[in-house]
Amino acid sequence: MLVRIVMELEDVPGQLLKALEPISHLGGNIQSIMHQRERKTPLGRVPVMLVFEVSERARLNRILAALRARGVRVTQLGEREGAVRATALLVGHIIHTDIRDTIDRLNALKGVRVFDLSLAMGEPGQESAARMTITADDERRVNLALSNLQRIADRKKLLMITSLEAR
Amino acid sequence: MRVVLIGFGNLGRGLSRVLIQKASFLRKNHGLIPRVVAAVDEFGAAIDEKGLNLTRLLKVSEKTGTVAAYKGGKRGKLANRVIEEVEAEVVYELTPTNIKTGEPGLTHIKRAMQAGKHVIISNKGPLVVAFRELDSLARRCGVEFRYSASVGGAVPVVGLAKKLLAGNEIREIRGVLNGTTNYILTRMSREGDPFEVVLREAQELGVAEKDPTLDIKGIDTACKITILANSLLGMNARLKDVKIEGITRVRPEAIRLAREAGQTIKLIGVAKHGSLEVGPKLVPLGHPLAVGGTLNAVTFELDLAREISITGFGAGPKETSSSLLGDLIDIHRTLGG
Repeated sequence: MLVRIVMELEDVPGQLLKALEPISHLGGNIQSIMHQRERKTPLGRVPVMLVFEVSERARLNRILAALRARGVRVTQLGEREGAVRATALLVGHIIHTDIRDTIDRLNALKGVRVFDLSLAMGEPGQESAARMTITADDERRVNLALSNLQRIADRKKLLMITSLEAR
Repeated sequence: MRVVLIGFGNLGRGLSRVLIQKASFLRKNHGLIPRVVAAVDEFGAAIDEKGLNLTRLLKVSEKTGTVAAYKGGKRGKLANRVIEEVEAEVVYELTPTNIKTGEPGLTHIKRAMQAGKHVIISNKGPLVVAFRELDSLARRCGVEFRYSASVGGAVPVVGLAKKLLAGNEIREIRGVLNGTTNYILTRMSREGDPFEVVLREAQELGVAEKDPTLDIKGIDTACKITILANSLLGMNARLKDVKIEGITRVRPEAIRLAREAGQTIKLIGVAKHGSLEVGPKLVPLGHPLAVGGTLNAVTFELDLAREISITGFGAGPKETSSSLLGDLIDIHRTLGG
């Protein structure tokens, strides 16, 4: 799988090498490195975006542990496929307004998948609640999925509660 | 410093108690000797240019229901006359909020400014209806205008942003700004009781008002978001510009599902350029905004400081007096006291 990470490095010589070593050593195939000097953090660290390929999740976990052990701060981590996820709650007559249709509409979006659904039934005749986790290949797609879900919720008179951090 | 109190309900009385209690503290630490020369309620006024005896004023008003029963007091609708005619430096406007017209507070504030008096208010109504107008009127009249108590109760939301964070550009303000709804959501989360049951309990405890509409529909939070957008983000926003969803549809089952994912549900107001919004949101447990009970909390997103959060009590006469008194001291200092 293809992995994208952003790590913050101190702006002194040798830091990048320190971070790259464990990746190639543990079987990561580095594809691109991009310094983001214009986005220097207030502590003077430089974010570096790295894309590499690894064969399995266990390998990725070992790489991340090795980076941590060397004091490299990884601030973002995303697998290219289904890399970004978002959670939303729905309240209303979820079953009666055809939950399957809701899921199908989201799954029909390219690069978007309804990954998890938990349902809590209300008392008979009362509204129910659902927690839905959506995965998408990138930030843009996940936002598109959320705004689609909002439109569906409005039409089906469901209350949609999104995460504080969702934009 | 001569002070006029317009409104002698919970807040007016709470402030009076604090002025009695803190008299020597204010003199010693701030060189400030506040003298309440008039107090007005809806039935009349008590006036004494040498300064009212606040202990006696409190006793009289609690016993008879009006300050007019104070020695030499007058009956009638006297607020505007007192504001204009009684000599004083500062007018406290502490009447109840009306978010549609802003009255009677709006008129009181304008008259006070036009009479050259500094104004301190707790009342959201005038700020929601006419923020820009009041802000520029204060400047034209050369008077100070403070409203710390209108948002966050004791939590110094406005002061923190305007003074200590003045070097920052504020990108976004997010907050739990209504203690009643936060209490209800907290109880629903802990007990798993439905909204209606918890609301009734909150009303019995006096945490929710008899008519809780403004709180539970998110309108009170929206008023505060409007005030913050205008005062801290330099916007010219009205209540109608805020997209509002209350908490009446939030179910305990939804909160349980949120908890299972390490989150809770809070009524959050968000102000940023291009978007004013109030609604229930998923907040990670342990997040600065995941406060319990009647607490308020605000997070500023800033260009330099990145994130700053503050928490505290958003209501209560004594707690709110902290902001009301802070404003008085601030004006005293601004004027070189």
